Amino acid sequence: MKQIVVHQEKCTACRECELACSFSHENIFSPTLSRIRIADFYEEQFYQPMVCVHCADAPCAAVCPTVAIQRQTDGQIKVLDDRCIGCKMCLLACPFGVMGFSPEKGVAHNCDFCDGDPQCVQFCTPGALEFKDVVAIEALAKQKAAAALGLPKA
Amino acid sequence: MPTRYVLIGNSAAALEAIRGIRKHDREGAITVINREEGPAYSRVALPYYVAGEMTLNDLLIRQRPDYGSLGASLVEKENVTAIDAAGKKVMLASGKKVEFDKLLIGTGSETIKPPIQGLDQVPHHYLWTLDDAIGMKKAAEKAQTAVVIGGGFIGMLAAEALRKLKIKLTIVEMAPILLPQLLDEGAGKLFLQAVRDEGVTVRTDALVSALAKKGDAIEVTLKDGTTFTVDMAVVATGVKPHVQCVSNGAVTVNKGIVVNEYLASNHPDIYAAGDVAETKDFLSADRSIYAIWPTAVEQGRAAGANMAGAKQVYPGGLGMNVVELFNVTLAQLGRFREGAGDDVKMLNQGGDGLYRKVVVDKNGTLVGAVYLGNENGAAEMGVIHSAIKRREKWQGFQDGRPPVFTYASVMHRVPRY
Repeated sequence: MKQIVVHQEKCTACRECELACSFSHENIFSPTLSRIRIADFYEEQFYQPMVCVHCADAPCAAVCPTVAIQRQTDGQIKVLDDRCIGCKMCLLACPFGVMGFSPEKGVAHNCDFCDGDPQCVQFCTPGALEFKDVVAIEALAKQKAAAALGLPKA
Repeated sequence: MPTRYVLIGNSAAALEAIRGIRKHDREGAITVINREEGPAYSRVALPYYVAGEMTLNDLLIRQRPDYGSLGASLVEKENVTAIDAAGKKVMLASGKKVEFDKLLIGTGSETIKPPIQGLDQVPHHYLWTLDDAIGMKKAAEKAQTAVVIGGGFIGMLAAEALRKLKIKLTIVEMAPILLPQLLDEGAGKLFLQAVRDEGVTVRTDALVSALAKKGDAIEVTLKDGTTFTVDMAVVATGVKPHVQCVSNGAVTVNKGIVVNEYLASNHPDIYAAGDVAETKDFLSADRSIYAIWPTAVEQGRAAGANMAGAKQVYPGGLGMNVVELFNVTLAQLGRFREGAGDDVKMLNQGGDGLYRKVVVDKNGTLVGAVYLGNENGAAEMGVIHSAIKRREKWQGFQDGRPPVFTYASVMHRVPRY
């Protein structure tokens, strides 16, 4: 499965991703409706893009009282709009705070990979976001960890 | 011989227990005993059915074949009259007996009937089972006015459903605020005003003492002597664990069925999960029952796994609630009303309709939170929820600003290489 991988150190909090996401999904430029959000710590110049990671054991799906949150065959965790009653239990269950809510539609929403072409990734000028296969992401994480420990590249 | 699992109940706890069992045991036979008819429906969605936003079919969260595909068989419309703990048998009202190796009691809650004079003589509605919801919807079609007795969680959901049907409402609540189990005084006052602003009559600090038939209408008498008439009456004065099937003393019952950290009762092969189980509390040394969907899911999963031989410790019940009512989103976590020695951090006081409060215990550990605001803001409660579960410390205000609760604020403080 492909996932959005975040290179936190490259993020400049320009928030193009938030605008691209809300525009492609809701037809409006509104950061609060974006499914990817930048957590900013301006004083410390630390910016962290936050987006659904489609957990293996997803707490949002477990808690959903109408089985509206289901894993798709491609691996993504998806909110089925016609089953969602807007109770927001998934918002309280998500430890990352990345389950969002659309007041207009009255349903919860998370990253849906824009049908395979995530617009946040397309518009991320600094290159902090990439859309990659999870196996590649795991390899990258291992390389980073090895580098941190001063080990040679495998 | 494969293990015979019997699950009494057919909602969150039992459904998750099936999954819990199947994670560890693919062979065992699972029998689900449902006192209602049909596959599982979502109790949480019932108010949406009353409001006409969902059909009966929409309410279903399982179809009959779903049970078979997990190797479980569903027994419908059967009441369990007693449990023979020594003989490891479940007695059904039809006279049948079902033998078990491992038993889960997930019978949930039942509504509490309030001591109101004349209640039995007038038509009234609860909102707990599917039949209740069907009855309420029918009555609502003919009603123009209604009284909702009890301004708690269910009462307010019923009120919101009836309001969507343009029924004029009077809500009677004995506490000084609405949703006393969910809101502290500050948020409660804000919410009460929001409800009144919508044109709903709310009587707080009030009790209904009598109901009487007056032609086609119902006359409501309050304890202070005021009377008014309405077309329909909704009773929402709370729920209690549904423990009839163990009234013969098969297992130890206090308020609910007393279970240990593995969700087993005093009988090693009988487990309980969900609203009926009295578990240890996550935040205190007390025992507690949180009659909410998320705890039923957690407990059902753990109980199922343990019935199948795993040793999963249930960390204890933690209260959490979220609801959008009268255009306000409300959420609560853990110990949101501060106790002795607790410290309160006010992040927003209620201006512009935003109220955020965090409760910290004497050691500086996060123990609770209240949120009142817009829909999207409730996402931060998820972050606080997981922080409470990890027993994280309060990080303090940053440069005089309230902290932003995002997962990043946790990651940021982990040393990076």
